[in-house]
Amino acid sequence: MLRSLRRRGLYLRLIGLIVLLAAMYIAFMTNKYYLLFITNLVFFAAIVLAWNIIGGYAGQLDLGTTGYMGVGAIVSSILSNNIGLHPLISIILGGLSSALLAGAIGFPMFRFGVREVWYALSTAAIVVILNNAVRLLIGPYEYYLRVRPIKTYDELYLATSIALVLVFLLNHAVNNSRLGYYLKAIREDELAAEAIGVDTRRYKLLALMIYAFIVGSLGYLYVVMIGYFYTYRFFDTGISVSIAILGIIGGLGSIEGCLVSAFLLRGVGEYLRTSLAHIIPGLHLLLYGAVLITLGVVEPEGIPGIARRFTTLLKTTKRPMGVVK
Amino acid sequence: MFEPTAFDLSAIGTGVVNGLVLGSLYALASLGLALIFGVLDIINFAHGDILMISSYIVYLVALSTGNPWIALLSSLALFALFGAGVYRGIIHYVLGKEPLIQIAITVGLGLILQNLALALFRAEPRALPSTLFPYPLSIGPLTLSANRVFVALVSIILCILVHYYSTRTKLGLASRAVAENREAAWLMGINVPLIYMATFTIGVLLTTTAAFLWMQIGPVDPYLGTIFGLLCWIIVALGGLGGVAGIIASGFIIGVLDSLGSIFLTPSGKYIPMYIAFILTIWFKPRGLFGRR
Repeated sequence: MLRSLRRRGLYLRLIGLIVLLAAMYIAFMTNKYYLLFITNLVFFAAIVLAWNIIGGYAGQLDLGTTGYMGVGAIVSSILSNNIGLHPLISIILGGLSSALLAGAIGFPMFRFGVREVWYALSTAAIVVILNNAVRLLIGPYEYYLRVRPIKTYDELYLATSIALVLVFLLNHAVNNSRLGYYLKAIREDELAAEAIGVDTRRYKLLALMIYAFIVGSLGYLYVVMIGYFYTYRFFDTGISVSIAILGIIGGLGSIEGCLVSAFLLRGVGEYLRTSLAHIIPGLHLLLYGAVLITLGVVEPEGIPGIARRFTTLLKTTKRPMGVVK
Repeated sequence: MFEPTAFDLSAIGTGVVNGLVLGSLYALASLGLALIFGVLDIINFAHGDILMISSYIVYLVALSTGNPWIALLSSLALFALFGAGVYRGIIHYVLGKEPLIQIAITVGLGLILQNLALALFRAEPRALPSTLFPYPLSIGPLTLSANRVFVALVSIILCILVHYYSTRTKLGLASRAVAENREAAWLMGINVPLIYMATFTIGVLLTTTAAFLWMQIGPVDPYLGTIFGLLCWIIVALGGLGGVAGIIASGFIIGVLDSLGSIFLTPSGKYIPMYIAFILTIWFKPRGLFGRR
């Protein structure tokens, strides 16, 4: 797997990402508000990249992101807060618990062949069930963390950036591995993949659990980012849907596309939300909706499709007249 | 966890009857979705938001004219245009495309409707100041508002009319033929694009009627669509695409689970029973409890 990682100019892309993250930090480090703003962007870019594993490569429209994130957040918060475990250990245990939950849900789901719209709806339903169940279990309150491993916005930005780089590397590892090829085969044609001997259930489940683990362990970071408290309100179908939207617009299975859509679309959206919400609430979601409809009609492949059109346009204009192909 | 309130049989009875009322309205709201899904094979995630936005139109017209019937007629006229327009402008382009694209485009439409409502009307829930039949009705030990009885009756009658539409009328039979086999229907001289547009518009009109009835018993806010959208999909999943009877039965099931869930599990846990029922149905009876297809 490591050898395949070195292919395709991975180092170049990795350096590019790190330079981008560093440049964003340098540009905004003097203003605490904008620093938190870009931390939010980096965090959601990592979530969208995690979604890319189940939604992009495996093609399963998962709307359960906040369910797994919330379980990881609440488990790791309770472990570090009430039992006093080291935050890093509780983050990993939080991730493991949401991976276990994903396994427990995903196993029957894939066993009974739930797919397409029914998969999307059942994952959305699971978020609602978790929301209600957690509200009954821990009550309608916000619980604050006593243990605070991250004290400044700069540290938070660093931690989030490290998380994004790790998820980025994991995405490349999946993309170039046997698992990645299997998942893409499942996405293109599940029956055909099964016919040539891919154990579709097993690999879909594996992808689901990897994604749930990443999202669950990012949950603790989310708790820190929104101000050190955890609550049942983490389980929000609206946020799950917007993650899936960013992943779809980014193009299924395209790592760069996901990063572009997360940074650009969510960046513009969050800017609109924070600057104009008092005049026109919900403007950022109007933007998402408009982009989704336009892309769906014009370019269903998302950002990679647009990029390809653009490059072919450039190439064809450079070509001398009268030469075909 | 459980509310220590005193339960007696009449509370449960009222809960069940209220659930049946809600269920008949849910069934009517889901019929449009089932029609569109069955005939056009379009996965419509904007269904709840169409219901939400037409509730607002009913509310606004009823408030400004003071006459709910004018509100019903004008919103029906408006949403006939809206349905045809959405079909021609958006849905038409994703017919027969991958489910993911259809979901993405209808989620986009839903987001636009929801946030348009948020921008125009803000997040406060709004309800009509007066309803059609503002007096109680006692049936044996149960006391119900006449309004709810009206809502349930109209919903059931409309569902039966839709059943007759799809089994007796020329248009309904043609749309079922298209649902069965599009190419064969084309070859038999059925104008498939017209059937598609008509079915989508009829689905939207049924939803508008459901919105009118909903405004008689409940408030509207921009997030009503999210709740109704999921509910309608659950009812379609439970009912299958076999026919109107399955949709009515699963509407009743979901309505009763909704109503009893909020009595026994407090409103904060009321979604647990119905969503678990939904997931179990998807796992064990993927064609729905009553489905044939």
